[in-house]
Amino acid sequence: MSRNNGIDRRQMLKLAGFSAAGLGLTAAGCGSGGSGSGGPVTIRHSWWGADDRAKKIQQCVTLFEKKHPKIKVKTDFQQYPDFWKKFNTQAAGGNPPDVIQNAVTFLRKYEAKNVLLDLSPQVEKGNLSLDGFRAGLEKFADIDGKLLGVPVGSNSMALVIDQAVYEKAGITPETGWTWDEWYAGMEKIRDGQKVAGDVGPHGVMYLYDLILRQNGKAFFTEDGMGFGEAELLPYWTEALARVKSGIYADPKKVEQIKPASALARGMASGEFTWDNFSIRYSAEGKSRYGLAPIPSTDGKRTGQYLGSLMLSGSARTKHPAEVATFIGFMTHEPEVARIMGYDRGVPATTAQFEAYRPTDAPSKAIEAYETAIAEAGVLEPITPHPAGADVIEAAFLRIAGDLSLGKASPKDSVKQFFSEAKTALGSN
Amino acid sequence: MTHIQTSPGARASGSDRSAGRRNGPGDGAPPVGPKRPGRSDNLAGYLFMSPWIAGFLFLIAGPMVFSLYLSFTEYNLFDAPRWVGLQNFTDMFADPRWRQSVEVTSWYVLIGTPVKLAAALAVAMLLAQKRWGQSFYRAAFYAPSLIGASVSAAIVWRALFSDDAVVDRTQKLFGVETGGWIGDPEMIIYALVALTVWQFGAPMVIFLAGLKQVPRELYEAAEVDGAGRWRRFFHITLPMISPVLFFNVLLETIHSFQIFGSAYIVSNGSCGPADATLVYTCYLYDQGFVNSRMGFASAMGWLLLVAVGLVTAVLFWSQKRWVHYEEGGR
Repeated sequence: MSRNNGIDRRQMLKLAGFSAAGLGLTAAGCGSGGSGSGGPVTIRHSWWGADDRAKKIQQCVTLFEKKHPKIKVKTDFQQYPDFWKKFNTQAAGGNPPDVIQNAVTFLRKYEAKNVLLDLSPQVEKGNLSLDGFRAGLEKFADIDGKLLGVPVGSNSMALVIDQAVYEKAGITPETGWTWDEWYAGMEKIRDGQKVAGDVGPHGVMYLYDLILRQNGKAFFTEDGMGFGEAELLPYWTEALARVKSGIYADPKKVEQIKPASALARGMASGEFTWDNFSIRYSAEGKSRYGLAPIPSTDGKRTGQYLGSLMLSGSARTKHPAEVATFIGFMTHEPEVARIMGYDRGVPATTAQFEAYRPTDAPSKAIEAYETAIAEAGVLEPITPHPAGADVIEAAFLRIAGDLSLGKASPKDSVKQFFSEAKTALGSN
Repeated sequence: MTHIQTSPGARASGSDRSAGRRNGPGDGAPPVGPKRPGRSDNLAGYLFMSPWIAGFLFLIAGPMVFSLYLSFTEYNLFDAPRWVGLQNFTDMFADPRWRQSVEVTSWYVLIGTPVKLAAALAVAMLLAQKRWGQSFYRAAFYAPSLIGASVSAAIVWRALFSDDAVVDRTQKLFGVETGGWIGDPEMIIYALVALTVWQFGAPMVIFLAGLKQVPRELYEAAEVDGAGRWRRFFHITLPMISPVLFFNVLLETIHSFQIFGSAYIVSNGSCGPADATLVYTCYLYDQGFVNSRMGFASAMGWLLLVAVGLVTAVLFWSQKRWVHYEEGGR
């Protein structure tokens, strides 16, 4: 309506020009920084974990930057589920971090989408060495001839226990103990000390995988599910009864303290998880946390295999050589092992394994545990994880949790799980 | 994702409208300059608007059109979208978790909105009276609305409603033993309702403005005729502020449908326990960003837009029956 008397058209155009230039600058600022021309190169490293891991990783990065002044590493971390939400979005947007922490569940999924960097050319160029890995771990992330990750440590499933509670109850789990013995122990703990025996294991995909393997099946086949309603229904029906009888921790209480662990908070005396979790729980909880073997069905076979956290590069990275250098440093440098300890499992290379001799109780327990299962000869090859395995893992955990809270009957829960699993296998 | 924006000034109260009519453009000479705006002025205008126009086209309109397309496809973010027609929509109706999300959201809207508006109106009526410290109270009651949408408030909420926290202990004093609300699928939704009710500041301010417009003479006349408090409320206050009430109902209903942050944070990102806080947008986010089903998530977004549109239309249609606009400035 009114005219702009103060400013003439030329000035106005100038202003408009400035604002357009401003937009351009902002856009330029979004691009990834520091490439080429001799200056320092910046790579981004993202990983999942908690605070204690954050401190250790940062120390390693400082050390790396000192030894490689031309490479800068920016880090960030989230909780496990949030990590993948963020990574998914970043990867889809073409701006993923250069180096990520990774696990076997995700390899085929992201391989199918060309997200992960094949590191084998870097091995040929000498930027990354595959020598000196323990137990053939360097082949762990070799998928169809592509090297999609390098293990930083190996770990196995274990029963992490509150040692004080177990000692008071007079229970000493031994290799080869059975599910019946385990259950009897939990009853004793509940009756004697008014503590639940377990956090509630029926949503842990990796444990159920072991149970299935003990019975000649597995959670996954190459391209689908390795079990059916006939297996899962009795398992979950039994679990619900145990929640109700107080053998498994009160799900309402477990829910409220998340993301803290119910074991570390003293709400239960055991949890089936990866053995390196005992380090985190020792940092968070007040009791002493030890490791007990996985119970077996036949008194012998546990169905266990080595799992591994690994580092993977992004296929979109502009600095594959620097990515390889960083991954090599994190896997081979002895000092890294002394900083990290067994935080991400027992170090994957002999150099790192020998550099770190555990002195604290939880780490010693992990070393003893890993040695014991290796000597017991229970380790078997890992079962495949098809694309979609990560979504199925999350659904298994969620639906089992809903079952505990009484949302749905075991029958409906089982039905819901297989329906979601089918969708996940179809769309990933 | 859908965005529905309604500017608070879009619908002024009845007396404002009549005031505008008296001093409207027809009453005097139109305030135009010495000559009609030329093309150069138009150009400058568009240039000034260009950042906004660019933002609208590239950040709102473009993505919206794309998401409409995606809603008819299967799209996992990485592979090219695959056309599946209406399958996402049929899948939705067959999906028990989707039905759960609709149920939770409807429940939240149906309880949260009326309770919040009732609280806002009640406090506004208290604050409309002249009393000592009036401005302080107004500011104090408005404060939660300023911080309410933030992540920190939701985190505090989670702490307040846990086992053995403030709410649990206070309840116990009165002999009510429910345990923490956060872990209880039956109770957690009420923690969310409490969070939204606590943020009644914005509708309260609008109610206050509406209450100020009600002529005192009406109350005086009613009092002379022997009308009690409730009669005066139902026969004078409510009809006189009905346009403001309508505005608040509309805004808060739409707003409630879009709940995400508080549900996501209070449940620690799980929208649980047992899907008890699986509000619509939470499930949309879950399907899109966790399960990488962007086509399905887009379809959900568009269905939400349609549903909110329908509810809005019904509200507008219903206002004939209960909203009274003053005609011709009395």
